[in-house]
Amino acid sequence: MKGKKPLLRTFRSRLFAAVLAVTAVCLLVSSAALLQAVRVRMIQDAAEDAREDLDSVLSALDGLAEGLDAARAALEADPLLLSALAGEAVRETEAYAALFSATEGIRDYARFDLYDAEGIRRYSTQASGGAPSLPPGWGVLRSADTPGAFAFTATDDPADTARPLLRGAAPLYWEGRRVGTLAAGVYHAHFRALLEGKYGGRNDLLLLSALWRPVYCVQPSLAASLSPQLRRQVLDGAPLSDPSGEFSYQTADCPALGVYAVLRRPEVFTHDTMRLLYTISLAFALFGLAASVFLSFQLSGRLSRPVRRLTAGMDAVEAGDLTVRVEARGDDELASLTERFNEMVAALAKSQEALVENQRELNEAQIRMLQAQLNPHFLCNTLDTMKWISKINRVPQVAEMSADLADILRYAISPDELVPLRRELAVLERYMDIQRVRLSGRFAFSMDVPEELEDALVPKLILQPLVENAVLHGLEGVDRGEISVSVRADGGTLTARVRDSGRGFPESLTGPYARLAAASRRDRLGLYNVDTILKKYYGEGYGLTLENDGGAVVTATLPLRREEEGGEEPCGRS
Amino acid sequence: MRRFPWFLLLCALLLAGCAGEDAASSAASPAPAAEDRLTVYTSHKREVWWPIVKEFEERTGVWVDVVEGGTNELLGRIAAEADAPRADVMFGGGVESLASAGQYFSPWVSSEEEALDPRYRSPDGLWVPFSSLPIVLIYNTKLVSPGELTGWEDLLSPELRGQIAFADPAVSGSSFTAVMTCLAALGGDEDARDGEEALLRRLTESLDGRQLSSSGGVLTAVAGGSAKVGVTLEETALQWEAEGADLALVYPAEGTSAVPDAGALIRGAPHPENAGAFLDFIVGRDVQTLLTERFCRRSVRKDVESPQRVPMEDIPLADYDVAAASARREAVLMTWAFYLGGGGEEAAP
Repeated sequence: MKGKKPLLRTFRSRLFAAVLAVTAVCLLVSSAALLQAVRVRMIQDAAEDAREDLDSVLSALDGLAEGLDAARAALEADPLLLSALAGEAVRETEAYAALFSATEGIRDYARFDLYDAEGIRRYSTQASGGAPSLPPGWGVLRSADTPGAFAFTATDDPADTARPLLRGAAPLYWEGRRVGTLAAGVYHAHFRALLEGKYGGRNDLLLLSALWRPVYCVQPSLAASLSPQLRRQVLDGAPLSDPSGEFSYQTADCPALGVYAVLRRPEVFTHDTMRLLYTISLAFALFGLAASVFLSFQLSGRLSRPVRRLTAGMDAVEAGDLTVRVEARGDDELASLTERFNEMVAALAKSQEALVENQRELNEAQIRMLQAQLNPHFLCNTLDTMKWISKINRVPQVAEMSADLADILRYAISPDELVPLRRELAVLERYMDIQRVRLSGRFAFSMDVPEELEDALVPKLILQPLVENAVLHGLEGVDRGEISVSVRADGGTLTARVRDSGRGFPESLTGPYARLAAASRRDRLGLYNVDTILKKYYGEGYGLTLENDGGAVVTATLPLRREEEGGEEPCGRS
Repeated sequence: MRRFPWFLLLCALLLAGCAGEDAASSAASPAPAAEDRLTVYTSHKREVWWPIVKEFEERTGVWVDVVEGGTNELLGRIAAEADAPRADVMFGGGVESLASAGQYFSPWVSSEEEALDPRYRSPDGLWVPFSSLPIVLIYNTKLVSPGELTGWEDLLSPELRGQIAFADPAVSGSSFTAVMTCLAALGGDEDARDGEEALLRRLTESLDGRQLSSSGGVLTAVAGGSAKVGVTLEETALQWEAEGADLALVYPAEGTSAVPDAGALIRGAPHPENAGAFLDFIVGRDVQTLLTERFCRRSVRKDVESPQRVPMEDIPLADYDVAAASARREAVLMTWAFYLGGGGEEAAP
């Protein structure tokens, strides 16, 4: 597709072009085919009609030829007329009676003249007109050289309707001697009576001699003007045609009269008609094209609009707006795609919300821790001062407690977040020392931590709140309580258990540490903080588990990580 | 590319349509074979060539293709087509014109040669004579009394100055023949060069600067009375006279010429046999009889009598040399144009 023009790059324009091309091609092909089919059919019909017209003309001409021949045969065998031509004395009336009876029936279509050997006319079927004598060595009389047949001669001038247009001449013999010539003349009026209405009202008929010289046309001027043009085409071996293209020609041979019949008929499809038809079909094609342009605009718009809306929605999501929703219309593929998009954005928004909430909770815990660090060095220093004063005044318990408290405090406010377990345990010892003084040693405290785990890294101050929880709740109302801390490693997991011998947790709290309701948070803020810290550091898989085992047991699980270099020095005790 | 087959289909449909039309409209035409053809260039008028050609066609069955034109125009075409001649016969034109284009013709000895008057025979057979055309003087019978005009000398008299209808010899072949006949008839005794020039000068002075642009104009001018006398061919003068125009003929007493027009076989003609048959036909008895009877022309045959009132034997003939006349054509025409254009005026009295 790289080579394609940019015009066809979009789906819409490709769809558009395809619809357009298919419509245009179909329209053009169908209208061209229709036009050609109609045209060929009509031309064929017209040619057939012309052929029929020509056939009827030919049969009329053949009839004329037969009539002429019959009269000729009768006259050739008439002893009275022949002997009269030979110079014998014959009564005029008898001779005419013989002539008229021989030419009965055909006289309406031809005139008959009998010329003697000198070319003088002796008898004629018509009283007037015609040539009283003809040169024997020229033209008509000379052409009569075949006994028993007419030789046909065309007129010199087809426009001269007073003279025969076609002349047949046959020699007459009497007692073996040429005594004269029978001349049959067919005039314009004769041809007209014979052929009128036989060749179609809109056609023109032209009779041409064997050498394509004009013989007859109903309009003599047309014969004179048209026949040289047709003769030229015949001589050039070209098909008969009209220079203006408005007529077509068909020819038929009539050997009995020695003429060609040429039928000129108006072209069924002239240039004007064809232009009109082409204009109409072009107009239809343009109309169809316009309709298809409109439709394909509509259709491609309907396709591309949801796509555009989806694109806009995606742009908004990209810009961070997760509240955007794309309206899905209908129930087609694009609508379901839009719905899927909406669902996807909703899910994205939800997870984003959870992420924000997480962040917020983490910030809260950190703030609380910072709050815990608020009473920093002043308290440490005060406690040191108290330690020294009590040493001076020989109150060793106060001095010891002050020292422990100051260590715990320093540890608490130190910036380290992850510390070796060793330090955590040391601070726990200090804390328990203080509690022992506070509670006058009413409990037993034991720690069980393998040596190799002492350098495991743990978040700061996670054991102290658990032990404090055990001190506060586990020893409540108990005379000789026990608190034990054990740390174990199980594969990659570090487990710290703080057990007391108290009443245990209410049943509803046991199991993995669940987020306590806000009301009970105040009560067990320590557990909540530790659990939150563990989860924030290590993920949801870690945290606290509460159970009852002859007292409450709180188990913290966290991944086992070793200190990579030497642990930091604990808050020094001086 | 995908749309290409559609385009092909469309083209095929359109072509099929056109092919169908061609098949439907073509009409069988009986084109004649080459041996049945003849092409004739003719400078004759249609009324002369048409009956002859038609009769020839009917007798032989040959399709004659006639091309009409002026003699000089047709000779020009023949010269231009000399490499691949289209025409077979040049029919018409004075023998001077045909002789001057002799290189484009082939000799043809007619089968009728023996019957021809020896005066009209071509010495080298390059042309076949058709009709004899004597030069005559004519006068308007209302403006000139009989006997007033007898010969060439009368044309030069001051009485007729400016009253003579004479065609431009550069345009009209018959007019050129008339000029040369006049020179031959009058210039016999004088020194050839000076006499000829002096005669031409006198003749042009008599015309008084007037000459007609075509030979046809001579008859119109004299019959219409705009000129008293004129010089033209016997044939046309007889025709006008027969039609009743107010004019009469005079055969000049000093002698006239009877130069024939002719037909010639074109060298390299595509249908030489038909051409020969046609040339034989035009000097045949039938056509020669026809032209004396119908066209007021004189036959070139010994055995055909011309029905004109004056037999050829009674017409005084000048010593007219066709070959010499054609050879001097350019020179004479230049001299003619010089004097006619006023070159000799200052010497006029």
